[in-house]
Formats: sequence, C-alpha cells, structure tokens
Amino acid sequence: MDKDTSAAVPRRDGSATAGLRDHRYPAGTFAGLIGTPFVTAPTRAALTARLAKPAVTAPRFLDAGEFALLGAVCDRLLDQDGERRIDVPGAIDARLASGETDGWRYDELPDDGSAMKRGLAGFDETARAMAGRGFLELPLDDRDRVIEAVQGGHPAGRAWAALPAKRFFEDLLAAATEAYYAHPLAQEEIGYVGYADARGWQQIELGQREAREPEPVGAAL
Amino acid sequence: MSRIPYSPSEEVDAVVVGTGAGGSPLLARLAAAGLSVVALEAGRVLDPVRDFARDEEAQGFLFWNDERLSAGDDPVAFGRNNSGTGVGGSTLHYTAYTVRAQPADLRLKTDFGVAEDWPFDYEALAPYYDEVEATIGVSGPSPYPWGPARTPYPLKPLPLNGAAQLMQRGCEALGIRTSPAANAALSGSYATDGTHFRPACHNCGFCQAGCATGAKGSADVTWLPLAVAAGAEIRPECYVTGFERDGTGRITAVVYRTPRGDERQRCRAVFLCAGAIETPRLLLLNGLANGSGQVGRNFMAHTGIQVWGQFDDFVRPFKGIPGGLISEDTHRPADADFAGGYLLQSIGVMPVTYASQVARGRKLWGPQLRAHMRGYNNTAGINILGDCLPYGHNYMELSDELDARGLPKPRVHFTMGENERRMTEHADRLMQRIWEAAGARDIWSFPRNAHIIGTARMGADADGSVVDPDGKAHDVPNLYISDNSTWPSALGANPALTIMALSLRTADRFLANRGA
Repeated sequence: MDKDTSAAVPRRDGSATAGLRDHRYPAGTFAGLIGTPFVTAPTRAALTARLAKPAVTAPRFLDAGEFALLGAVCDRLLDQDGERRIDVPGAIDARLASGETDGWRYDELPDDGSAMKRGLAGFDETARAMAGRGFLELPLDDRDRVIEAVQGGHPAGRAWAALPAKRFFEDLLAAATEAYYAHPLAQEEIGYVGYADARGWQQIELGQREAREPEPVGAAL
Repeated sequence: MSRIPYSPSEEVDAVVVGTGAGGSPLLARLAAAGLSVVALEAGRVLDPVRDFARDEEAQGFLFWNDERLSAGDDPVAFGRNNSGTGVGGSTLHYTAYTVRAQPADLRLKTDFGVAEDWPFDYEALAPYYDEVEATIGVSGPSPYPWGPARTPYPLKPLPLNGAAQLMQRGCEALGIRTSPAANAALSGSYATDGTHFRPACHNCGFCQAGCATGAKGSADVTWLPLAVAAGAEIRPECYVTGFERDGTGRITAVVYRTPRGDERQRCRAVFLCAGAIETPRLLLLNGLANGSGQVGRNFMAHTGIQVWGQFDDFVRPFKGIPGGLISEDTHRPADADFAGGYLLQSIGVMPVTYASQVARGRKLWGPQLRAHMRGYNNTAGINILGDCLPYGHNYMELSDELDARGLPKPRVHFTMGENERRMTEHADRLMQRIWEAAGARDIWSFPRNAHIIGTARMGADADGSVVDPDGKAHDVPNLYISDNSTWPSALGANPALTIMALSLRTADRFLANRGA
C-alpha cells in the first residue's frame, strides 16, 4: 500500500493501545469453512496451497546467514516464536528470488534485493555498535532496541550510509506484515472470514453477523 | 459482419492502446460507427469465475507491477494503489466509486486563479456522464443531493455497510449532509443492449480484488462486449513499444511485443489510452508529440488522507461496497484556506491492505501490531478524495534504470504543495471530529495520495499543452490521447467515471472531424 511519509508515531506509546477491541477468536474457523460451498474453487485452491506450503529452509535469494537474520528480525516484528510460525521470511525470500516487484519503490532505495542485503548487514552492524555482538547473539530485548534504532532512522553502522534506514524499515515491516496477514491462520486470529463469500453477504450492517462468521470467545490472552 | 481478426498488414481505421476506462468506451463507440478497430492490451484475458480468488494476495496479478521509481517529498504508491493490467485495465480493480465532477471543478483558474481551466465546461460532459452511468449500471440516489440537476441514476443505491452507518452517525451529529454514494455495482440485476445479463452485487466487498460475479461495471463486462459485438478486435498480451511514421509525421503503424515476437499493426489513427504514466512514457520513449515540452509535466495525485478508528460495534469491514456513503458538503468548504475542495467517503477495508497501512502509517510491530489487528472486525475508515493542483516540480521522466523489458523505468516526482497540505489538514481535522462523534477510539490518520493524473495536458494552446480539446495531439495529425493524462486539473472526484465520459466525447469528436 502507500508507503507513508508522515512523522513517526512512537511504537511504545502506551496510548496507542488504549481502547483497542482486542478480541480472541476461536481456532478451527478456517478448517471448518474452507471445504464448504461458501468458498469458491479458486479461493480454496489459493488458500489451501498457502496453508500447506512448507516453511522455507533453503533460501533461494538470500544466503543462509542473511536468511537466519531476516527470520530473527521477522520473529520480533510479528511477535512469533515456537514451532508453529507463519513463514514470513520464506515468503520474503521467495518474492526476492522471483524478481517480481509490487509496481514501485522509493527512488532513494536501491532495488529490493540489494536493499534487503544491505539492510540485513545493517542490522548486524547496528547490533555490534549498540551491544557488541551480532543481532542473532543478542537477547530479545536487545534485538528490539536494535529494531527501534533502525525504525527511528539514525542507526549506527556503515551500511546505513548508503541505505535510508527509515524507508528500508518501513518497506520491510510492510512486507512482513502483508506476508503474515495473508496467511489463513493469521486471518483466523483476527476473526476474518471474507474468503467465505461465494454466496455473498446479507448481514452487512453494524453489529450484524451471519452464522458462519465467528464470534470472539473472549478478550485476548 | 465480423472481419476479425484483422491482419497486422491490413490498414485498420484505428488502433487503441489500452482497454481500461480510457480505451474501452471509445473502442465500443468507434466499432459501433463501423470503423475497423484493434485494441492492443498489455495484459491477459482474465476469466473472473475461474481466475479470481477471493483473496488479496492471490489477486496481485491485477496490478501493473512493472517497477516505477517514486521520488519527491511525498512519493506516490503505484501498483495496487492505482495501476492495473489485464483486458479491462484498471477498471478490473477500481472500487466502482463513480461520482461525477461538479461544474466548478473544471474552472479552478476562473474561481481561484490557480491551476488551469478545462477547455470545455461541465455541460459538454453531462450527456456522456448519463450515457456511461446507463451503460455500466451505476447505483445511486435520486435526486442526488449535490451539484446541478441531473437525470436519475439507473439503479437505486446499494445497501449501507457498517462503515457507512458509522459515518452517517458521526456526520449527523455534526450537521454534515450525507447520502448513499454512487457506485458502479448493481443494486439489482441489469442488462443493456449488447451486454450480457449481470446479477446484483452480493456485497462481497472484494471490488479491489476483481469482481467475480460481473456485478461491478468493469470494462470487461460492459464496454468490451459492446465493442466486440460491433466488430472490434481485442488483442491481449500486446505491449506497445513504438510507432512507425511517414514523411509527414503521421503514424502508419503501431509496434508491439507479444509472446510470439514483435509485431506491427498498420493503421490510420492511434488512440493512446495507457494511463498517466505509461502514456507519457511511450511518448517520451519515442520522442513523440512533445513540441510543447509538456509531456510528463504537471503530474497530479488526488489528496486521499484516510482516518481510521475502532468501535465498540462490530463492523466486519470486508462486507459491502467499500465506499458506501458520501458527503460533498466539503466540495467548497466555507472555512477553506485552500483552492478547490474534496469529498468524504466511508471506507471498508480488507485485512492485508489494512495491516499494511497500520505497519506503514502507525509503525506498529510486535505485540502491539498483533493486538491492534485483533480489533480488525471493529475497524472503519473515512477518507477524502480531493483536488490537486498542477506544479512544475511534479513530473514524470525516464530514468537510467532499465526494467525487465529493457526499457527505462519511469521516475515520478511528487511533492504536495501548500494547497494540498492545507486541504489535507482541513480534512484530517474534520474526519477526526466525525469519528469522535461516531464513538471511535484509537483514531489515527494515514496520509496518502491516490490516482495518477496529468502528464499530457489538454488545451487550446499548442505551446502549453500536448493535446487539443478534442484529445488530438497538437504535433501528430492522427494521434489521440484518451485517459487521465490529458486532464488540466485533477477534479475533486474519483476519476474512472470522468475518464469514461471523456473517452466517449473524444470518440465523437474524432468521428465528427473525420466526417468533416
């Protein structure tokens, strides 16, 4: 979507989350709906394939070290850990390997692939400058401090002299976020079932819900 | 009667480059007049039932994804923000929001002393607006609350979704008039002579990912079937790269790349309808029609700031026509400190699009991003569609960087002027108040600039414009341009309807001149 140029809104601003409708939705909604006539054939094919895709272990564009670093950064950006991660770095690597673009880029950034390689090198340089070790060797809190420095636009490290950190980070965060929320299980987490629209929607007004739409099962844990 | 397919060596009456909002209405018009016409479309033929998944990521093929370089202080997003491909062009992904321009939009210079007036007035467009609305099937309120008296819409308005109801609530509290918006999606089943029966919109909300039912008035289910029925040939996967000309400067053939190799189509006239980046790019690549030096100049992008909020009520913002409610009370605000004005529209949103904007605009990540997104079903937005003035500092040029086809990538410079900043601030304040009055929490603004306009200005003066008021190039006797490149000013209205109306007018002017 639009790459934003406004002043930064502080991520750690406590007011940012005040009043959030932070619901917890039931698991299993996607599995229950995907095989029904509420889902068209091309939709079912696309989503089933995405769900079944094994996590990338051998990257095609990045080298192994870069890919591990990208994975560690994406884990923090999407707050993922454990075994059942949505494969965000794999999706990003696949995109870069394909050479496909989203139709534009900031003129002040190099091509997507070069930007990614330089930016990942930059994360490591900033980590060493801030904490004396590479990003992957840092505890999670320190990783977050490095990410905040990059997002802030003035991180330490030579790589950033040739790569505007703020723009690079914005593109990286958007790519990671899009890869995450395109996944059926991420959509299930936010209570989205818009893919089950083969018969359209009749209950579209405020507060209305059709039987196949999930209700929250409580506040987020 | 059909003589298609035409042979590339046969001299056809006209070649139309692009099958979107600019190319497809005139293709239908010229074919109906009995002309031999061939449309060259860079994209593929798409089958909505077979090809269109109800999924944002899977539908990425609808967008023009050749890379463009965005420069300036307010770089404009392309790709899915405003640029399409496929037989039907950008109408495949437009949200079907089909508001008319108002008469004052065409005379900013007269009224405010800025920008340029259009070389004709609203009355020249009005009958074409009527015709477009009837052909594509626009659902809207009658009478319409703003602008001059007009013929009734062919269909009653679409039902309001949650975001529309919330905007209604907020505006009512502030004394702002609202109305169901005009949208080219059918509130009832519809057919016209020459188009197939089309079913009513079933509120899936996926307009921007391509309509799978034919309820949306995209070119592939309206103008293009009409054109084909009248004998036009549509040639997909033909990417135009150049033109052959004779000693007098007339274009004699259009050169294009296909999966089969390079081809050329001989022709008597050319209509360039490739949009406000690819049209000037083709002209610059070929050194064509640029005696004025104006090709690529005056690039404009509508002000389009969005304000989002989360509500106690469940909105489930993926349902229903995305832009359900409109207000044009802000067309010329009494307290404006800027020229021109804007309209307000409620907006629903799909989850990946919203998440991406939260990432870019709110800059949230980690647990805060995930928590914010768990409020997706309670989210609704309002945005504006506002005028934009032409400036010398906003332009499109060819860069030194080559794309996958070996052609220079376009670089587009865009920096909002004082007028756009003031308008955006005015709108931001107002929309925040509307959302507060409607009960929103966690309100936030996402500044953005939308549609691409300008770059091959229309005008009577050959020194200051690229095409004349009929759309004909000043410098090339048989070249016409029909898309939003020719607009002298941006208009405070979503562009598709006006592009289509102007396309019909351009065709009629061509036919009249031809007969003369």
